[in-house]
This record gives sequence, C-alpha cells and structure tokens, in this order.
Amino acid sequence: MANLCITSLIFLSFLPIICLSFSPENPTDRRILVLLDDFALKSSHSIFFKALQNRGFELDFKLADDRQINLQRYGQYMYDGLVLFAPNTERFGGSLDLADVLDFVDSGHDLILSADVNASDLIRNIAAECGVDFDEDPSAMVIDHTNYAVSDTEGDHTLIASDDFVQSDVMLGSAKMEAPVLFKGIGHSLNSANNLAMKVLGASPSAYSANPKSKLSNPPSLTGSAISLVSVVQARNNARILIAGSLDMFSNRLFKSGVQKAGSSNKYEKSGNEQFVTELSKWVFHERGHLKAVNIRHHKVGETDEPAIYRINDDLEYSVEIFEWSGTNWEPYVSNDVQVQFYMMSPYVLKTLSTNQKGLYYTSFKVPDVYGVFQFKVEYHRLGYTSLSLAKQIPVRPFRHNEYERFITTAFPYYGASFSTMAGFFIFSFIYLYSK
Amino acid sequence: MQGKVEGGVKSSSQCGLKSDLSSNNTSFFSSSLSLKSLKLKTKQQALLIRVTILGLVYVLAFISRLFSVLRYESMIHEFDPYFNYRTTLFLTEKGFYEFWNWFDSESWYPLGRIIGGTLYPGLMVTAALIYWAIKFLRFSVHIREVCVLTAPFFASNTTIVAYLFGKELWDSGAGLVAAALIAICPGYISRSVAGSYDNEGVAIFALLLTFYLFVKAVNTGSLAWALASAFGYFYMVSAWGGYVFIINLIPLYVLVLLITGRYSMRLYIAYNCMYVLGMLLAMQIRFVGFQHVQSGEHMAAMGVFFLMQVFYFLDWVKHLLNDPKLFQAFLRITVTFAVGVGAVALGVGTASGYISPWTGRFYSLLDPTYAKDHIPIIASVSEHQPTAWSSFMFDFHILLFLFPAGLYFCFKKLSDATIFIVMYGLTSMYFAGVMVRLILVATPAVCLISAIAVSATIKNLTQLVRAKSKVAHSGAGKGTSSAKASSKASLDQSLPFQRNSAIALLLGAFYLLSRYATHCTWVTSEAYSSPSIVLAARGAHGNRVIFDDYREAYFWLRQNTPPDAKVMSWWDYGYQITAMGNRTVIVDNNTWNNTHIATVGRAMSSYEDEAYEIMRSLDVDYVLVVFGGVTGYSSDDINKFLWMVRIGGGVFPVIKEPDYLVNGEYRVDKGAAPKMLNCLMYKLSYYRFGELTTEYGKPPGYDRARGVEIGNKDVKLEYLEEAFTTSNWIVRIYKVKPPNNRW
Amino acid sequence: MGKSSTTKDAQALFQSLRSAYSATPTNLKIIDLYVMFAVFTALIQVVYMAVVGSFPFNSFLSGVLSCVGTAVLAICLRIQVNKENKEFKDLPPERAFADFVLCNLVLHLVIMNFLG
Repeated sequence: MANLCITSLIFLSFLPIICLSFSPENPTDRRILVLLDDFALKSSHSIFFKALQNRGFELDFKLADDRQINLQRYGQYMYDGLVLFAPNTERFGGSLDLADVLDFVDSGHDLILSADVNASDLIRNIAAECGVDFDEDPSAMVIDHTNYAVSDTEGDHTLIASDDFVQSDVMLGSAKMEAPVLFKGIGHSLNSANNLAMKVLGASPSAYSANPKSKLSNPPSLTGSAISLVSVVQARNNARILIAGSLDMFSNRLFKSGVQKAGSSNKYEKSGNEQFVTELSKWVFHERGHLKAVNIRHHKVGETDEPAIYRINDDLEYSVEIFEWSGTNWEPYVSNDVQVQFYMMSPYVLKTLSTNQKGLYYTSFKVPDVYGVFQFKVEYHRLGYTSLSLAKQIPVRPFRHNEYERFITTAFPYYGASFSTMAGFFIFSFIYLYSK
Repeated sequence: MQGKVEGGVKSSSQCGLKSDLSSNNTSFFSSSLSLKSLKLKTKQQALLIRVTILGLVYVLAFISRLFSVLRYESMIHEFDPYFNYRTTLFLTEKGFYEFWNWFDSESWYPLGRIIGGTLYPGLMVTAALIYWAIKFLRFSVHIREVCVLTAPFFASNTTIVAYLFGKELWDSGAGLVAAALIAICPGYISRSVAGSYDNEGVAIFALLLTFYLFVKAVNTGSLAWALASAFGYFYMVSAWGGYVFIINLIPLYVLVLLITGRYSMRLYIAYNCMYVLGMLLAMQIRFVGFQHVQSGEHMAAMGVFFLMQVFYFLDWVKHLLNDPKLFQAFLRITVTFAVGVGAVALGVGTASGYISPWTGRFYSLLDPTYAKDHIPIIASVSEHQPTAWSSFMFDFHILLFLFPAGLYFCFKKLSDATIFIVMYGLTSMYFAGVMVRLILVATPAVCLISAIAVSATIKNLTQLVRAKSKVAHSGAGKGTSSAKASSKASLDQSLPFQRNSAIALLLGAFYLLSRYATHCTWVTSEAYSSPSIVLAARGAHGNRVIFDDYREAYFWLRQNTPPDAKVMSWWDYGYQITAMGNRTVIVDNNTWNNTHIATVGRAMSSYEDEAYEIMRSLDVDYVLVVFGGVTGYSSDDINKFLWMVRIGGGVFPVIKEPDYLVNGEYRVDKGAAPKMLNCLMYKLSYYRFGELTTEYGKPPGYDRARGVEIGNKDVKLEYLEEAFTTSNWIVRIYKVKPPNNRW
Repeated sequence: MGKSSTTKDAQALFQSLRSAYSATPTNLKIIDLYVMFAVFTALIQVVYMAVVGSFPFNSFLSGVLSCVGTAVLAICLRIQVNKENKEFKDLPPERAFADFVLCNLVLHLVIMNFLG
C-alpha cells in the first residue's frame, strides 16, 4: 500500500509531463494504469509486464475495486494507456465507470482489455461499445476439436492453437510469426456495423463457442471463422484498443509453453504468444504505425506563397511531408500510394503523389475549369497505420473581367466593322456639315 | 408616442395639401378667365404654389417612410436587403472592380457564387455613390445609414418624376395630384420604407423615369429624349429584374399604336433609338448579358424593332411611289419575304437552343397556376402568391375606385401618351393580380390614372362652380373654358342646385382624399414599418414586447463558432446569416440552384441518420432552425416545412409529400404522420419543447403558433446537439456532432 | 402569264422608284448612302459569323449592333431633317444633328466598352 502512495506521489511530481501526454511529437505512451482482479496476476503475467517496463513504460498496478482509482486529475489524464486485466470486476472502485473508460479512449488514449470466461457485464459492455460482442453465454469457451493444442492430457479441446493472424507487418512486427498462439477463453464476434474493429487473431473454421461442461443442446451461436479471438479497434482519433478473450494468453505459463497443433507434426519449443502479444502491445501503445503529416503546402507553379484563392485553370503544386514514428524518433515514411484529391462534393482531380523517399510527397496539377470551394484532401488509410485525413479548404474563383482572352483573331472583322462605322460616322458628319 | 404625433401632423398636412391643390386649380382657371393685367401675376403665383406643393410632397414622401426608424432603430429590414447591404459594404470597402469580380465563397457552399455576375448592381452602386458624395462633402456617416435612407430618398425622387409624368400625360394639376398620391400610396411604401434596402426601392423610380422619358420622346420625337430614356432603361436594368416588364410593355405599346393606325415618325425615332441604345447599354450589365438577343422574353422587343423597320420602309416606298397599285405589288413581295425570313429565323433559333425558352417565373406570370404545378421554389415565396382582394384594398384604398374613372378620362381624351398609361395600367393591374409583389409595379400607374381622374373631376367641378358665377355676372367668356363645362353651364343654367351639388361633390372628393391620407398613414405605421428581423408583439398588459431573437442568434454565431463553420438553414435565412453572422451558408435567398436547395430540403425532411449523411457530405457544422412555438410566431420553419418537402421531393423522389400528411392534412400533434414526427425539422424544432409550459392552463409542449399540443414530446437527438437557443426560442442552433469515434 | 406580269410589275416598280428617288435632296442622299454602308457592313458580319461561328459573341454583337445603331440613328436623322415631314416642322435641323451626334457618341463609347 505504501508502495502505491509513493507511486502516486511520483506521478504528482510528474504532472507537468503528464500534460504533454500523447503529444504529436511523441506519440508513444508513457504511463499505463493496470487494473487487476487480483495482485496474483502481477506475478503470473510478469513477463508481459516486465517487457512493457523494459520498453520504458511506467506501470501503475491497482486492484480494479481500489477506491483510489482515478483516471484524471484536474481535468488532465494521468495515464496514457489502460490495461484492464480484470475480467470479473462488476464495478470499478473509485469513481471510474464505463463512461469514464470510453471517454478515456475518446480523448485519444489506448486500452488493452482482456476478458475471460465468466466475464462481467461491465467488461462486456466496454467491449460492446467498441464494436466487439462476446458470446452471450457467460461460461462459453472457444472449442476446437481439430485445431486444439496437443497436450499431455486429452482435455476438452478448449486450449486451442491458432495461427490465423492478420497480415500486417505494422501490427505484428516484421519478424514472421512462426509458432501458433495458444488461446483459452471466450470468443467474440465483430459488430458488422463497425468498420473500425478488426480481427487480429481468428479461430479456425472448425471452432465453435459453447460451454464445454454441458452438453450441446442448440447449435452454437458463434461458429467458425466468425469467431475472433483477439481484435483491435483503431478509433477515428487514432486511439487503439486491443480486445482479447483470454487472460491466459498473456500469462507466463502460456508464454513459455511449447505448442503442437493437433494434426500437425510441427512442434515448437515455445508458443507464439510472447511474440504476438509483445508486438501487438507495441502497436497498441503507438510504438509503431503512427504517421504524421506536416508542412502541407500548395502554391501556384513558380510561386512559393500560398494564395488565399485560386483561379480556374491555374497550375498549382501541392506537397506534404509524412513521417512515421519508429518508437524513438520520426522517420520518413516511404510509400507510393499516397493520393491527393481536389475535392468539391466529388473529387475533380485525383493524383498519386510522387515521393523523394525522404518523407516529402508532392505533385502538381491544373485546377479544373469549375469554380467553387474546393478542398485538398488526403485520405490515407492503411492497415495498421494511423489514418491521415488531411483536408484544406481553398476557394477557386472564375476569371476576372480582365483575364479573358483579348484580341481574338476570329473577331478581327468585328473590330474592323466597329471602327469602320466609327470612321464612317466622322466622315459622314464632315460631309454632311459641309455639303450645304 | 412619437410616431402617433408624427402621423397626426402628417395627415393634417395632407389635407392642407389637397386644399392647396384645389386652390391651385381654381386660381389656374380664374387666370384664364380673369383680366389680362392680372395674368402674369397669377401665373407666377401658380408657379410658386406648384413648387411649394411639390416641395412639401417631396418632404412628405421622405418622412412618412421613417416610421420604422422611429419605432425600432436605423437598421436593415427583411432578408434580401441584408445581401444588398453586405455587397454595398464590400463595394465601398474594396472598390468597384473588386465588386464587379467578386466571387463569394461564403454562400452556396461548396459551389460558391459569382456575386458580381449574378446581381443587379444598380442599387449598390447608387448607395455607394451617395455615400462617396456625402463623404466628399466631409460629412461622416456610416454606410448603413445611407443604405437605410436610400429607399425613402428615391421615393421622394419618384414623386418628382410622377409630377412630370402626370404633366406630360394630362396637365400639371394631374401631375401634382399624382405626386401627392404616389408619395403616400401604401403599395409603394411597402417596399420603400427606411431600412427596406431592396432593388425595388430604386427600381420603381427608374421604371417611372424610363416610361416618362419614353413618352416624352414619343411626344416630341426627339433623339435626345429617346437617348435619355435609354439611359433610364439602363438604370432600370442595372437595378431590378423587373426591367423585363419595360422591354415587353413598350413594344406592346408600339404594336398597339401600329395596329390602331397611330404610327408616326416620332414613334419610330423614340422606339428605335431607345431600343438599340437601351439594349446595348443593358448588355453591359453582366447579369443580363446577352439575354436581349437570346432569351424568349426579349424577343418581342426585337420583333417589333424589325417590324418598325419594315413599316418604315414600306411607308417610305409608298411615299415615293404615290401609286397604290404598284405599292400593292411591292407589299405582296416584301411582306411574304419578311414573314418567311422571320419565321425561319425564329424557328431555327428556338430549335437550335440559341433562343432560350421562357423562364418559369415568366410563365408563372402569364399563367398563375403554372408555378404551383411546376416550380415549387417560386410558389413557396409568399410574395409570389396571387393577390387577394383585401390586399388590393389595403394597398390602393380609394385609388382602386378612382382607377376606372381615370381610365374613362383617358379614353375620352385619347392621345399617344394616354394610350401608354392606359396600357401600363391595365397590364400592370393584371400582373398585380397574379403576384402580390407586382402590386408595386402597378402602383405608379394606378396613382397616375387616379390622379387624372381626381384632377379632371375637380377641375370640372370647380369650373362648374366658377362658371356659374361667371354666367351670372356676364354670361360671356364661356368659349374660353372647356367645351364640356360650357355646354354644361349653358344646359344647366336653369338648375339652381347644380352649383350646390358641385360643391357637395367637391367636399365629398376631399373627404375621400383625406380618408385616403389617414388610411395610408395608418397602414404605413402599423403594417409596413416592421423590420421583420425584430418582431414586436403586444404583451398581456397591452405593452409592446420586442423579440430580438434573430440578431441574438446571428451574433452568437459570429462570436462562438469557428470562422469557417458552415451553417445549414432553410434558404430564407441565408442572406442574414452571411451578413450578420458572417458564416458560410449552404443555400441563401438567391435561389439559383434548385438542386442544392432541394438537398437541404431533403435533409430537413429525412430521418436524423439519413440527414446526417447529407449534412456530412456538405460539411455542415451547424443547423439553424426558426421556431415560433413559444412566441406564437407563425412564419417559422414548421409552417414552411411543406415547401421543403415539396422542393426536396421535386428533385429527390424519395421524399413524398403524402408521408407527412394525415388525410391530406398537415398537423404536428398526436395525430401527425409518423414520418413527420421523426423527421429532422420536427426534432430540431421541438427538441426539449415537451418539457416547456408555454401558456398558462395548457399542457406542457403546447405549440402557440399552431395552437396544438405537440405529438412527440420526447425528442432524442443522436447526431446533433443543441448549441444555442435564443431567449424566446425563435432561433435554435444545433451543432452537428463529428462521426462516432469508435464506430 | 402571272410570272411575266410580276416581272413587269417589278420593272415598273423599279422604274418609278428610281425616278421618285432622284428627286430627293442631296443631304438626304448622303444619309441614305451612309445607311447603305452601315447595313452592308452589318450583313457582311452576319455572313462571316455564319461561317466561323459565334464564338466571341460580344464582339459579334457589338460589331453588328454598331452598324444597326448607326443605321437607325441615321434614319432618325433623315426623318427629322426631311422637310416633307410635317411633324418636325418646328425642330431646327441643327438641333436634330446635335442630338444625332450625341447619340452616336454614346453608341460608339458603349461599343468600345463591349468590343473586347
């Protein structure tokens, strides 16, 4: 308990730094609140926690029903991330509740949430608010009779080995996932209305979700590849959420355990859990896959100043610099699929930006022959990366009265005629006046 | 209190004016009858009296339009004037060339609007010139004051033109009466009170000036007058879209003269010079551009122009030939040729799309039911509705009865000029019957014709009174008075009460005219001086309650929203939001893009989630609705809502009007259609209204504007949140929430 | 038969027209010449427009309208200075010419503005 007091004191002294939390300059989280059902988890999952601490995170462990829990103080969040390893908690201690957790996420902070069998309604609701629905049967587990992990005792096939990973280097690191991941827990499905949630670890087609202790009376509600074991949500404000159905998969026991998939002769000394969880936590806490766009510039060809308004048919240049956070510093982001739109209700111009490999993306194009209020839009959404939605409004005006072409060749006869009538008028006046 | 005193003074001065007038007439006639030695002196007197009266009328026309300034404050009224004010401000700040090329990105987001090319700049340029002139004279005034007082100033000028026109048509007496009548005619005052800074205020002056100069040109056959009328026309074109009336009325008039055989060289000169130069000048206005040679509305003028040439040519040849038989042959050849060429040209022009067909507004003028069936956006404007008899009565009062009498006098003394005014009167009366706002165009004609009636009647009567006494004295000198009076005098010599009845009739006429004056004052002060941006009502104890909610809301927008925020509202409030709130709007009162307006109408009449998609696609940040349920203000968005449905449904067939009606009935209470109860407009108007008690003894959620208890008291908003509601709930502003963070 | 009578008619027409016209005063003839010149120029432009298309429409309009305007104004002048027209007896020809010059000035100024 004294330990806790000291840590909170330390946090207080860090208040100025806290204000800078999740700054655009340094997107990686620093301080993480870990809420546990039981302090025993601290030791049974020590590898996972240790790895985080080694990467520079400050972990603040608290019991989920601790009365001192406070996410914010004086309107400022004291943490950048939250790890909820408290599947059975019905109510958080202190003033923390469902809405506070969601507000925490909505203000751009990250969350790792692990449910388990008999997960409480609170945990289920948090997950549901993020677009993830756990199996409604509280005692249901994911069972797979073909892809279970071979163990010494023929169990009920609830410890399954899955290698249905999401194909993304950004999320899971560049090293290939060799060994399957051991999973024992509750399955969930993704709400189809939510297109931000994504399956990271899926179950095999032969899996289903049911209570292993009772006999299967009705067909299970969740079956096959609809079952997601681990999912992530990247919110629109780039807050990241990891939702897993098994607390065990983070445990030292499964980290160290060997794995052999049923029906497969490959036997791995070590399960993929450690690699999987570590890499994913790197992603969740913004050590990877975080992009930023700076120096958005546009100007007419041959000029450097940004105009307040363009004219139709102007030639312009557009450039933007995009950097990626490597965990320690910003490095140029290199890609060939960044596109810019010149947009007014629909894109009038759509161009792929060229890059100089140093983070600068640029292009030039002609303003369409349409006036109105346009936007330079860069909508860059790539799997695993934070999404870039850059919109810059710029009006486009038509020609001024003196900007139209003058002295058109085809019109010369008309000019001639006009001037000849004018001359005719003078000659006529002269003759008329002096003819008398 | 102030206004009351004002009115009293005014009406009395009006009465005095009328008696002045009669004395003028009397002295005028006595002059023709009296001794020669006195003649010069009476003439001078007459001139003096005339100038004095005209001066009084000039001042009267100005001050009777100041009620609104006294009652409220010096401010711009209504909707369109705010746009005019904003553009004038721009013009005075940035200069003419910037104004001419102004591309406004703050309205019609995201399309923008080329202001310089889509407005009639006459009004703004006029106000700016006045402003610069005043500034040059070292008086420091705010441009707003100039804008507020522009319309009254031009109304005063109109009285002068009316005098000149009346003089040209009939005599100076009629001119004076016309000036006096038009100075206070409610039909005109309705559009020219102080603060009503709209095109019409200047345009009626220009209209009357053009007509006057044209009639003058026809009467004199002078190129200079024709040139002047071309300039008058140019000014009119620059000021108001109603110039189409001129460019159709004048050819019609020429055509009538041709058909009735009153063709003359003077007419030829006046019309051709006016048409060619007027057309050229009008083309300099960007908004009008090539319409004079391309649009169907202007083709009549061109046709008559060619007809005139043919007519002149034939006349000339006939004059040269002096041989009917040969001329017949010539006629046969040329006429068939000309008609053939004309028909082919018109056919080719129309078929190739070179000559645009008539616009909807024009059709709706010719056929009053057209707009209702085809163009809801025109029909939705209250001032485009057909006129009710009551509003004729309201705006013209006794002029309505004097008008036919005046027509009688005109027909009796037919000349080129009176034919013109008769045609002007009849056509404009027809149009006034079709659309409420066109009463304005008819007003000068009605005033002039009525003035002829008044003047002629009074002249005859006073003559009768005088002739009687003359006859009694000498029995001579009847030949100098008009034929009618003399014949009457000789006929009715035996009737002793002839004179008395004449006096009685005169008194009756004065009584009527003074009634007219009091009516006009009353109408001006009660009905036409409300700025409609600030609402006034009588409180429970008879005191005046001012609702300044509009300005409160616009000021809130200006102060509390980001500068590039986009505000969606029904188009009525667009100009005000840009002018006072300084925020970008989606649609405004310049209803040039029907689809865009229909999109807004669709959003307002959809369910909240569908509306949210539309609002997202238009980058809407705020939604503004006008709601009168608390105050009982009846021209709010719920009452306009059916038009939104109709306009939206006109472009997007998903919106169907019957969905919002129950058995063809529009209601908002429990019996309302389910779609009605859940559409965006309903939700935004009645959000949190169910918990409010508006009137003592009524259940909560009692809508005072419609007198019912609302049907959906539990309004939940999912995608919008209330941002601001004014103190009387008249304007409610909602913020569009950003998309859900986790979904 | 009909045809020959028509041609005869036309010939007679032409004859009498010419004889009648020769009686016109010189100043009117000058005006007529001027009108002919303007109309001719206008016709050339219309033909040219029909060939190359109406692209610089404002130029075309100003070209043609300057001719039409000139012609119309000249005819107006002709009417006013013609001694046979009784309507304009009391209008001095100097005044008529001054009006004419004024109108022409306006016309050409506007044309200049509209041409480009």
